[in-house]
Amino acid sequence: MDIFSSPLAVRLERTVTATGPHILQNPNQINSPFETLPKPLFPLPAAAASTAASSSSPPSDTAAAMDAGGASDPSRQVRVRFVTKLPAPLRAPPTSIAVPADLTRMGLSEIVNSLLLAASPGHQTQPFDFLVDGELVRLPLQEFLLAKGISAERVLELEYVKAVAPRKQEDPCPHDDWVSTVDGSNPSFVLTGCYDGFARIWRDASECTHILEGHSDGITSASFINKGETEDRLHVVTSSKDRSLRLFKFDTSVSIPKQIGAYKILRGHTSSVQSVAVDPSTDMICSGSWDSSIKLWSVEGSEEDGDTVSVKKRRTNSDSSGTEESQFEGSATSTFLGHTQCVSAVAWPERQTIYSASWDHSVRQWDVQTGKETWNMVSGKALNCLDCGGESSSLIAAGGSDPVLRVWDPRKPGTLAPIFQFSSHKSWISSCKWHPSSWFHLVSSSFDGKVMLWDLRTAWPLASVETHKDKVLCADWWKGDSVISGGADSKLCIASGIEIV
Amino acid sequence: MGHSDGDHGSDLSADDSPWSEGSWSDDDDEGSLSFEDSGEGSDPESDEPDAAAAEESDSSEDEVAPRNTIGDVPLEWYKNEEHIGYDITGSKIKKRDREGRIEAYLRNADDAKNWRKIYDEYNDEEVQITKEEAKIISRLLKGRTPHTNVDPYPDYVDWFEYDGKGHPLSSAPEPKRRFVPSKWEQKKVVKLVRAIRKGWIKFDKPKEEPNFYLLWGDETDTADNKRQGLSYIPAPKPNLPGHEESYNPSVEYIPTQEEIDSYQLMYEEDRPKFIPRKFDCLRSVPAYEKALREGFDRCLDLYLCPRTRKKRINIDPESLKPKLPSKKDLRPYPRTCYLEFKGHNGPVKSLSVEATGQWIASGSSDGTIRVWEVETGRCIKVWNVGGVVHRIAWNPSPDRHILAAVVDHDLLLLNAEVGDEDAQMKTKGLLQIEELPQEEDNGDKKPAVRWVKHEKFDGIMLIHHKLSKKHSHHPFRKLLGLPIAAVFHPSQKMFFVATKKFVQVYDLQKAQLVKKLESGVREISSISIHPGGDNVIVGSKDGKLCWFDTDLSTRPYKTLKNHLKDITNVTFHRKYPLFASSSEDCTAYVFHGMVYSDLNQNPLIVPLEILRGHSSSDGRGVLDCKFHPRQPWLFTAGADSVVRLYCD
Repeated sequence: MDIFSSPLAVRLERTVTATGPHILQNPNQINSPFETLPKPLFPLPAAAASTAASSSSPPSDTAAAMDAGGASDPSRQVRVRFVTKLPAPLRAPPTSIAVPADLTRMGLSEIVNSLLLAASPGHQTQPFDFLVDGELVRLPLQEFLLAKGISAERVLELEYVKAVAPRKQEDPCPHDDWVSTVDGSNPSFVLTGCYDGFARIWRDASECTHILEGHSDGITSASFINKGETEDRLHVVTSSKDRSLRLFKFDTSVSIPKQIGAYKILRGHTSSVQSVAVDPSTDMICSGSWDSSIKLWSVEGSEEDGDTVSVKKRRTNSDSSGTEESQFEGSATSTFLGHTQCVSAVAWPERQTIYSASWDHSVRQWDVQTGKETWNMVSGKALNCLDCGGESSSLIAAGGSDPVLRVWDPRKPGTLAPIFQFSSHKSWISSCKWHPSSWFHLVSSSFDGKVMLWDLRTAWPLASVETHKDKVLCADWWKGDSVISGGADSKLCIASGIEIV
Repeated sequence: MGHSDGDHGSDLSADDSPWSEGSWSDDDDEGSLSFEDSGEGSDPESDEPDAAAAEESDSSEDEVAPRNTIGDVPLEWYKNEEHIGYDITGSKIKKRDREGRIEAYLRNADDAKNWRKIYDEYNDEEVQITKEEAKIISRLLKGRTPHTNVDPYPDYVDWFEYDGKGHPLSSAPEPKRRFVPSKWEQKKVVKLVRAIRKGWIKFDKPKEEPNFYLLWGDETDTADNKRQGLSYIPAPKPNLPGHEESYNPSVEYIPTQEEIDSYQLMYEEDRPKFIPRKFDCLRSVPAYEKALREGFDRCLDLYLCPRTRKKRINIDPESLKPKLPSKKDLRPYPRTCYLEFKGHNGPVKSLSVEATGQWIASGSSDGTIRVWEVETGRCIKVWNVGGVVHRIAWNPSPDRHILAAVVDHDLLLLNAEVGDEDAQMKTKGLLQIEELPQEEDNGDKKPAVRWVKHEKFDGIMLIHHKLSKKHSHHPFRKLLGLPIAAVFHPSQKMFFVATKKFVQVYDLQKAQLVKKLESGVREISSISIHPGGDNVIVGSKDGKLCWFDTDLSTRPYKTLKNHLKDITNVTFHRKYPLFASSSEDCTAYVFHGMVYSDLNQNPLIVPLEILRGHSSSDGRGVLDCKFHPRQPWLFTAGADSVVRLYCD
C-alpha cells in the first residue's frame, strides 16, 4: 500500500493542478460539454487522502481526513464506488470513497482520473461520464440524488464510461453547393449529395474520388445500397428534385473516369423525391416524394422494360456528360398511398416494415408485402427526418418543423406521446440518425447550425458540434466513431474521435 | 297494595284512604272472617276497588313502599313458586311456612284480637287492622257510608226563589201577526223605493282610495330630510369599567411606584391608558384630566369624517373580460420564427405561396422576383424584372406554375419553371403569345390572377384574365371610388372589390352589384375572404381590422384595433381557423377565427400571438403576410428585405 504514502498525495496534487480541465486538442472547434460546466476544481488531495483513509480505516477517519484536506463540511458527503465495464487499464479500484456531494461530473471525472493515474502512472487523463441506475449524471451529485430520490446513505455505485464527445475535427470537404445529404454507412467511403445535382464519393472523407452525375436538379437523398461492405464495387442510389432516382454502380479501385453515369433511372414520381431508403436485403429501394406517395423500386432485373432504347436516346440528347454506359429506365414496383402531404423521410429497418414521416404530421408504418398501413401516429408537427434504431431498432426518432427531437416507441399501445424529447436545438431539425451499434446514441442536425449528439439516458446533449456557419442539412455517423455533416455552407464536416463503447 | 307494612297505627293513612282499607275487607261478617281464604279475589266486586285503591295509594307519598316489587300482576302466577316475589334489591322473597289450621284456630282462640288480623297475600304477612278500620269495614258491610258524620239524607234546599216572581212563561199560542209581514213597513219601503227610483234620494259616492303614491318617496326619505343630510356616525363604544377603574379599588389593582416608572420605558402604544389610583371618597376624585383632549379629538374625528357615504360597487375587473378559450386549446398557430429567406436587396413588397406549399415567390422593390424552397429556405430562382414588383401571385392551380406579377404598370406572367415536366410544357404552351391554343379552352374558367392592383387608370381597375382565352374581362367600368383590392369568392362566381371605404360584392355572371359592405374605417388597404365564403376581413390604413359576416349585416361584426400603424395585408388560412394581419409597425398578429356551420353561432375571434422580428426600414414594417396552404405557418415579407417563416 505504498501509494497511500504522503509523497504520493503531493504528487497527485501536482498532477491535477497541472492537467487542469482535460479538454480536447482543439477546443475552438468542438464545444465540449465540460467547458460549459462552471464548477470549480475539486480539491483533489482531500479525495485522495480520503481514499487512503477509507480503504484502511473506518469512516470517522475519513471525515477527519476530509477536514484536514480543507474540504466542505463532512455532512455533505456521499460514499461512492466507481465501477466500469471498460477494459483493465481503465478500471479503478473498487473501494468506496467519500466524495463531497456537490461534485459535478467534472469533479467525479478528475477523481477517477487520479485514481487511474495512481494505479498506472502512464495513464492519460480523459473525461468520463457517470451513470447512476442507467441515467447519466448531469447535475451536481447532490441535486441529482435529490431529483431521483436516491438515498445518500448507502454507497452509491457510479458506473463510468468514456465521455462521448468528438475529440478531433477533420478538415472540411468543400462542395460547389449546399450539401443536402450524407451517407456514412460505408466505413471507407462517404457519399454526399449536393444541390448542384452531383453526388460525390469521398475516400476516407478527404479525397473526392468519384462524382455521380446525371440529375438535373439538386440531390435530396443518397444511400449506399451495399451497406457496410468493403468490397470494391459500390452501389449507390440517389434521389433528386428532378423527380427521379438514379442507380450507380462503379469500381472504386478504378479512379478514371471520375464522373460516373447512372446505369438505371427510376421515374414515376410526379414531384421532387425527398428521401430514399434501402431494404436491408439490398434488392429494393423505397422513396418518398412531394407527391405524397411512397414508391418501391427494384434494384435489379428491369432490363426488360420496353422503352429502354428511347430513354437512352433521350438521356444522351439531354445529357452533356456523354457517358458510354447504357442507361435503363425502371418503374416502381408498387406505390403506397396514404399520406396527404410531402413524404419527407422514409426508413426501412426490417425486411417487412417501412416507416415514413410526412409533412401531414404523421409517422406511418407500412407492411411491404401488402402495401397496407399498419400503424399511424400523428405528431402535431410537420416532420423532416426519421430514423429507426435503439433497442432492436424498434424506436423511432423524428424531427421536423420545431426544435424538438422526439423518440417514439411504436410497441407501446394506446399512447402517441413520445417517450423521449430532446429540445436543445434552436431551429428546425433537418436530420437525425441512430448510432449503428449503440442503442442509446443519436445524432441530430438543425437549421441553427449545430449538430448535437444525444444519449437516451439524459435529456442534455452529450456534445454539440458547431463547425457549420449556416444551416446544417444532414448528419450521419461514420465508422462508428465520427459524425459527418453537411450544410448550407457547402461543406462536409467530420468530427471524429467519438468513443462509443 | 295499599297496605302499610304492618304499621296499622297510622292515622293518616286510615283517614285519607278509608276506601282502600275497606276494600280489603271481605264479605264475611266482622266476627267470623276467614282471612286466609278471603284474599283470593274470588269476589268479582272486590277487583275494581282494589285497582282504585292501588292508584290512590300510589299517589300517597307517605305510604311505606311494599316489600314485594312484582307489581300489579295476578298473584296466582306465584302460587306454585317458592317465593312470592322480589324485594327492592332483586333477591327472592321466600314464602313463609304456613301454620296449619289448628294452630290458626288455637291462636285465634288465645288471642282476643286475632279476629282483627288479616292475611296480606301480596306481601305474605299478617296485618292487624285497627279498631277504626274495623269499624269502617263493618259500616261498609252494612251498606252505610264509611264515615259516621256523613248524612245520607239531608233536607232539599230549592235553588229558585218563587216568592213575588209570578209566572215567567205563558202557555198562550203565538199571535198571527208575528208571522205576517207588516203592512206599514211595506208602505214605508215602497215609498223609499219610489223615492230612490225618482232620484229624490241621493246616496253618497263611495270614497275613492287615492290610487297613486310617491314612487320614490318613503319614510326613510322623509327621515333623512329631517336630519338634513348629515349621516349619523355613532361614537365608538367604550368598554365597561372594571374594578381597577373604581375610585377606591382594592390594593392589588394599584401599581407600585416601580411599575409606574417602568411604564415610561414602554412604547407609547403599549403603555396602559389608565393607572388606577385610590381615593378616600368620591368627593376627592379630581376632574378627568384628558376630558378636553378627548373631546377635541372627537370633534376632529367628526370634522374630518366624510359626511356622505359612497356606495362602492366592487366589480372584479377580470370578470368584465370576455371568456376566451385558452391559447393552448387553439394550437397549432404560428408562434416562432425558425426560417428566414434572405437574398433580396430591397423591401419585399409581396409574396405568394404555391398551392402545395413547396415554394414561395416574393417580389421586391429591388426589381427582382425570387422563388424560394420552403423546406430549406433556399432561393431557387431569381428574375430581374427591372421595376418595382408591387404584387405577385401564384396560379392557385397546383399543376400550372404560373406567376403573375405587377411590375410598375405592367402585368407580367411568368413561368415559374418548377414542377412536373409535362406541366411545365403545358405552362409554356399557355404562355405562348403567338399561337392561340383554342383547344385548351375546355371550360376551365378558373382565373389565374387572383389579385391585381393597378394604380394609374381610374376607370378600368380590375383585369379579369382568363388565361386560356388570352383576353381580359372588364366587367366594371363604373366603380364608386378608387378600387384598392379585390378577391374572388372561394366557391361562387362572386367578386369582392374593396374601395376606399366600402366593399362591393359583384356577381361575375350577371355583372351586377349584389351587396355593399360599409367598413367605417378611414381607408381600406387589404381584404381577405374566409374559405367558407361568408366572412370577409378588411384591413385599414388606420390599423383597424374589420370582420364582416355577410349573412349577418353589411356592417362589421367586429372591429379589432390592434396595430399602431397601417395594416398592409390581412389573410385567412385555408385549412386552419386562423387569420393574420401584418402592419407597418413591424408586427404581424395571428388570430383564431372560428366560423361555425351553425348559423346561429357568431364567429369566435381570439387574438393569439404577436409576431415580432422584422425591423423597420424607412418607417415601413411588414409589407405582406401569407399563410402556408397546408401547415399552420405564416410567411411575412418585411421592409428589411427578409421573408420570415413563423411556425407553430
